[in-house]
Amino acid sequence: MADAPILVIDDDPAILSTVTDILEFEGYQVEQARNGVEGLAHVAGALPRLVLLDMRMPVLDGWGFAGALRARGIHLPILVMTAAQDARRWAQEIGADGYIAKPFDVPALLLAVEGLVG
Amino acid sequence: MNADQLIQYLSWAVYLAIFAQVSLRALRRPLAANVDIALFFVCSTVIILLSAAQAAGVVPRSPLLLALESSLLLSLPFLLLRLVDDFSAAPGWLLRAAGVALAIFIVITFATAGHAPAWLPAPELVYLIGLLGYLTSAFWREARRTRGVTMRRMRAAAFGCLWLTVQFVLIGLSLGARQASGLLSPLADLAGLLSGVSYYLGFAPPALIRRAWQEPELRSFLSGAARLPRLPDTASILQAMERGAATSVGAPHASIGLWDDAAGVLRFALDTEEYALDPHSGAITGRAFLDQRALYSDNITRDSPGTATIGVARGVRALLIAPITAGERRLGVLVVYAPRAPIFAEEDLALAQLLADQAAVVLESRALIDEAARVRAREEVARLKEDFLSAAAHDLKTPLTTLVAQTQLLERKARRMPDAPADLPSIERLVSEAQRLRTLVLELLDATRAEQGRLVSRREAIDLAEAAREVCARRCSARHPCDVVAEGPVIGEYDPVRILQLTENLVENAVKYSPDGGPVELKVWREDGWNHLTVSDRGIGIPPADVDRLFERFHRGENVDDRRFAGMGLGLYICRGIAEQHGGWIRAEPRNPGGSTFHVALPGPGHEGDHDHG
Repeated sequence: MADAPILVIDDDPAILSTVTDILEFEGYQVEQARNGVEGLAHVAGALPRLVLLDMRMPVLDGWGFAGALRARGIHLPILVMTAAQDARRWAQEIGADGYIAKPFDVPALLLAVEGLVG
Repeated sequence: MNADQLIQYLSWAVYLAIFAQVSLRALRRPLAANVDIALFFVCSTVIILLSAAQAAGVVPRSPLLLALESSLLLSLPFLLLRLVDDFSAAPGWLLRAAGVALAIFIVITFATAGHAPAWLPAPELVYLIGLLGYLTSAFWREARRTRGVTMRRMRAAAFGCLWLTVQFVLIGLSLGARQASGLLSPLADLAGLLSGVSYYLGFAPPALIRRAWQEPELRSFLSGAARLPRLPDTASILQAMERGAATSVGAPHASIGLWDDAAGVLRFALDTEEYALDPHSGAITGRAFLDQRALYSDNITRDSPGTATIGVARGVRALLIAPITAGERRLGVLVVYAPRAPIFAEEDLALAQLLADQAAVVLESRALIDEAARVRAREEVARLKEDFLSAAAHDLKTPLTTLVAQTQLLERKARRMPDAPADLPSIERLVSEAQRLRTLVLELLDATRAEQGRLVSRREAIDLAEAAREVCARRCSARHPCDVVAEGPVIGEYDPVRILQLTENLVENAVKYSPDGGPVELKVWREDGWNHLTVSDRGIGIPPADVDRLFERFHRGENVDDRRFAGMGLGLYICRGIAEQHGGWIRAEPRNPGGSTFHVALPGPGHEGDHDHG
């Protein structure tokens, strides 16, 4: 499990690359997905140890992704990252384990990630 | 006492009662109509009294009395003709001719008293029946022209004339056929009784009958009043109330003047024009408003010098005015007009006040409905603003997230590995996201300027064809070849920065919404004093449902995938602002097959400042 990757799902390519860089620089293994459907494809293989999930995305959004996981009986720690003001409520809605509001500081992101994978 | 006598006595009693009432009224209010009505019943009553007295032997039958009796009888239709004139208008020549004929008959009657020529009754009957025939039709015509209580009164008057005609015909027949007079004269008396009652109801109806006759129209107006505040606009409400008030009173017209507090005038909509009345001008309408009480005028020339000409020009002679007041708030006045004073009775003042109170309720309800709509509109504006801010904030946070996180990551890397080479991909990302942020901020600022109408500043003569070529050269690529079609320079006085921005936005959109590549064509030409620019692509096109909303703030096409095509949805809103603030217009024209064309028209030289198009 310790070697399992962290799955980052975000439709903005710049954010996706930046978050990936941050996590990889700290030694985590990272998988990328640009929407919920791509995210589910990753989950179908090896289970990630944590999902960093953007909420508003095309094709399949954060709610759809979390619902699909539940429907498949998969339980994964999820950290919601969104620019919306309703970050906290949205995280509760999908039963996520935590949330972080964009734009975030790197130490805050890492603290949240460590808290969930530790 | 036989039936014949009973009818006769009954008829006398009715005439006497009516005589007493109308005489009292004429003494109290000596209006022309009241006097004419009283004279009519005086004549009838004197005729009755004379014949009764002679029949009873109280007064000896004398040729002079007989002459007096027939003169009075001949006067009746003439008095009725004057009443027609009192209520509407009788032709002047007819009044004069009838007067002359009457005078001649009276002179002959008295001159030949006791030895009347045998031919005399014939022209007399022709005169009586001819004039009564005219009167019947005149009152009937008047009934058809009027409404409500006035229509019913005029009908009653017409019936009165009809019965009087019948009476005279029966008298004439009984004179001609002595053997049948035993049957004909009670019938003549009966017709006389009916005509007396009809005239009474027509010319001087008692308050009870008047109210009963007003009730159907009043009831229908009041039952419809609840719907009035929901009519589309205040003008329709006023018109409906004016119609209802006029019909309820039985007048041809009514008008509502609304109080304009800022200007200090009562505003009336007369036909198509507006009329403002200063309540302090001395007009009776103004007095009713200032004193807050219902007023009646049977002669506007006397009571409203100065403003009477407006009424007189419209054939108005009498007015009923009632203030429209809701609690402490003075809303205006209700004015009911009539061409002739006797259309109204004094009791109608109370009715006018009732109608004005109803109007106050309707206007207050309308004001509340309007206020609720204003509150809803304000809430909608506030909600849109909130949506705008939250959408703008969200769009700004996205590049900001990368900027903050990426710079912090670079800092961490630099601290931990001071000797590591520069991380070029990260720096490139920073540059591109910083530019994205700048574009968004500028877009937001321009959207604000567009809303405030401050997009266009410095104008100078520029060539649209040149601007198009400049933008094309910048945006042209192998995937999106760009071509400008222009026959020569197309010059206009425009803000050069904004025109380039407009052209660039349109070309950028054409490129952006042709994701699979495709040519972009610009055409620039001059036509009818306007300069035109079109930008066409063969991209994803515009769904018909979106064409009208395309230029709204934050609107994006149904077929636009939010993330695939970055942007805040402000570009076309700004383009419209630039075109319109130059006095021109912009519209989208779907292309067939596929793609879209954006068409901009700006006023050309000598056409500047023309805002009528679009």
